[in-house]
Amino acid sequence: MKKTIIVGIFVISNLCSAFSAEVNLYTSRHYQSDTDLYKKFTDKTGIKVNVISSKYEVLEKRLLSEGKSSKADVVITADAAALGSATKKEIFQKIKSETLNSKIPAIYRSAYWYGISKRARLIYYNPENISPNIVKNLNYEDLANPMFKKRIVIRKSSNVYNQSLVSSLIENNGLSKTSKWAEGLVSNMARKPKGNDRDQILAVAAGEADLAVANSYYIALMLSGKKGPEQQAAAKKVQLIFPNQSNRGTHMNISGGGVAKYAPNKENAIKFLEFLLTKDAQEHIVNNSFEYPMIAGVQPNKLIAQFGTSFKQDSKTKMTSYYNNQKKALTLMKKAGW
Amino acid sequence: MFLFLKNINLWLISSICISLLVAIPIFVIFSGFFGETSNYLAVLSETFLLEYITNTFLLLIGVLSLTFIFGVGVAYFVSFYTFPGSQFFTWAIILSFAVPGYIYAYSLTAFFANYGTLFSILTFLFGEANYNSYIPRIDSLLGSIFSISFSLFVYVYLLTRALFVYQSQNMIDAGRNMGFSSYNILKKIILPSAKPGIVAGLSLVAMECISDFGTVEFFNVETLTTAIYDSWITFEDLNTANILSFYLLIFIFILFYLERVSRSRSRFNIPSKGFYKIEKTKLTGTKAFLIFLFCFLIFFTSFVFPLLQMIYWLIKFPGSFDLKSVFTLSLNSITVIAITCLALIVFSFVVNYGIRVTDNKYLKTLTNFSISGYAIPGVILSVTVLTFSSYVDQFLKDYFFISGFKTLIIGTIFGLTVAYFIRFFSLAVNGIKSGYEKLNHSLDDASYLMGYSKIGTFIKVHIPFLKNNLILICMLLSIDLIKELPITLILRPYNFETFATQAYNYASQDMLEYTAIPSLFLILFASLFIMISKRQILKGF
Repeated sequence: MKKTIIVGIFVISNLCSAFSAEVNLYTSRHYQSDTDLYKKFTDKTGIKVNVISSKYEVLEKRLLSEGKSSKADVVITADAAALGSATKKEIFQKIKSETLNSKIPAIYRSAYWYGISKRARLIYYNPENISPNIVKNLNYEDLANPMFKKRIVIRKSSNVYNQSLVSSLIENNGLSKTSKWAEGLVSNMARKPKGNDRDQILAVAAGEADLAVANSYYIALMLSGKKGPEQQAAAKKVQLIFPNQSNRGTHMNISGGGVAKYAPNKENAIKFLEFLLTKDAQEHIVNNSFEYPMIAGVQPNKLIAQFGTSFKQDSKTKMTSYYNNQKKALTLMKKAGW
Repeated sequence: MFLFLKNINLWLISSICISLLVAIPIFVIFSGFFGETSNYLAVLSETFLLEYITNTFLLLIGVLSLTFIFGVGVAYFVSFYTFPGSQFFTWAIILSFAVPGYIYAYSLTAFFANYGTLFSILTFLFGEANYNSYIPRIDSLLGSIFSISFSLFVYVYLLTRALFVYQSQNMIDAGRNMGFSSYNILKKIILPSAKPGIVAGLSLVAMECISDFGTVEFFNVETLTTAIYDSWITFEDLNTANILSFYLLIFIFILFYLERVSRSRSRFNIPSKGFYKIEKTKLTGTKAFLIFLFCFLIFFTSFVFPLLQMIYWLIKFPGSFDLKSVFTLSLNSITVIAITCLALIVFSFVVNYGIRVTDNKYLKTLTNFSISGYAIPGVILSVTVLTFSSYVDQFLKDYFFISGFKTLIIGTIFGLTVAYFIRFFSLAVNGIKSGYEKLNHSLDDASYLMGYSKIGTFIKVHIPFLKNNLILICMLLSIDLIKELPITLILRPYNFETFATQAYNYASQDMLEYTAIPSLFLILFASLFIMISKRQILKGF
């Protein structure tokens, strides 16, 4: 009799944990459409998603303060350098997932983290103000060329996308060349850095500058009309190029995540990550936040695909360098007056 | 032995606990001061430190100038003159207090951006054209100065007006008899006697301005506060953060000391004999119109403009409206306000009542010392609370094998309340103290004579008398709490957003248009608190 009760309790408690219906997500992705994505996951699996969303640096500080008592299950970032930082600070744990390993190309994952979607950092221009011939084969390195004096807009140096770009430049060109490049870029700035990526594109549309540096999904977001008819009309004035096509390829970045080290709901965490790489989730991502998909068999949304999808992507520069060079990058940028 | 027990009383214990709590940030900053710093401090000193200090200084000068003009200007006009709208502006001007600096910043950006609101308005009125090149840019330092000035000038207005109300008509008549023009009367009689109020107001503005984080971070203006945040967040150099905090604090304490000194002086300036209430001059014609315009422009720009801009965004992007989310945000904001207010009022009463019945010097010192919690910028306070929780957690683990202290504080409503408590205790305790000071001790004696116990006296005499003060304190706390950003941002629990943090999240994550809903509701709630207590606010300062 006693044995039956014990076995009964054991079975029931296991059943309960199987139905333990939640996963705690710490995310620095900032797209409204993600809420619907989490809903899709809950509808499919019955697992509730609890979200805390903030800039990555704040999340990290929080996670490190919480330590072993942290209830975080999954940590997702919007930039690869953040993934590197999380790995170095032992925020992630190693997991085994054949699904994730088979679906994600090796350069976009590691033992600790997995890429969910891709984005490219592109150069935008207004054909009314600058000839396409000039920008045709532009490299990031050309942004320091004096011919663009006071004609470039880019976000502030504290923005992590810029830091990753500069990290990648340090990795490829070395510290001193990149320093000089940064100084050249600063003297080419049309205005002191302000606003987000979309503001840079709008500045080019308005004629305030000739070239802007911004992520790929923003132009699609503006063209979709989701940011209002004025921005849609402005976006139509603007064209883009994929830099560095004649050498290593365009700088790519990823949004990705991993399972937190002290995750209380580890199984649910793995399920959640695997869900993000399903066809359903990937299509939701590409059609709502206009990023490039991670898995094969899913096409990017036509608003971004119309600019070309077979551009050369920099697959040589390791994503780990984005984090490894980050402090050097920021110091260099600040010293250049960025 | 019983004598010894008698001395250990409730008041002493609670005030010791409270002072320990309030001392946490200062303790952490000092202990970190002597630690190692990374090379970030060296890089800083070489490159931007001077710029940060200059920016902080320029910001301060700009904000102090504008708040002086707006605050003293409006206070002067509504106190000494009657003109169309003067009654309305007397209280309506306070509404600008409902708009925190960072929300003002979002509105300014929305309005003056390329293809922004002004562009849409011009296109609507005059057709398509490239207006962008003609639209002025109000951002960076200028934008920060405007945003912060418009959100803080009410301090100067209220404190100046409070002293203007005590002006005696006698002195003004004397000035007129001597042939002074209105301008000279203002310059030589009115302003000097209101000086303590003006200085007090400007000192408060200065403290808040230096601690501002949301506005300057949004406008990419590097000040000492953003440098502190940067060194902690980006460079992970807590010691540099502490050193910069230390210098910032010295500066703040100087300002605070100035404010205290001028406040204490103000008591001697209230005339008693021969006091005649001000007879307001009625204005007509051009003068009336110009002064009306001045007040109207300030009211419109500081309150109506951000409100309209947010409403415009809401109409343009209706998809951002989510009833469930609004309900949750309201619940969270109100919960946090209710719990914190309750804790603050209860403990403020404990301390004040203790002062009243025991006349203990230590308790009095506590009420003065607690101001340090208010003076410390929110970013620094939250970082020190985090750091302190980790210290204690480690200590308990190493020596007592107790774990989990951290989980009590980090990411809980309790931890959030503790941080709010440290920050706002001085507001509550000094607010109630000023009420108690007006309550004559002989009333207590009369009550005891009639047979009421201490508790009875408290309930039947003190509370009714302090009712207005309580309303004022609760509403002021509520307004401050609903606008509060850095502490809430850093210490809040899972799935827990307030209107302030939600607006900030959207703004910093490239969804500026979505700040409309949280901003609107924040302004609405804060305006409601102001309207509930507007009589007390105008009287209480």
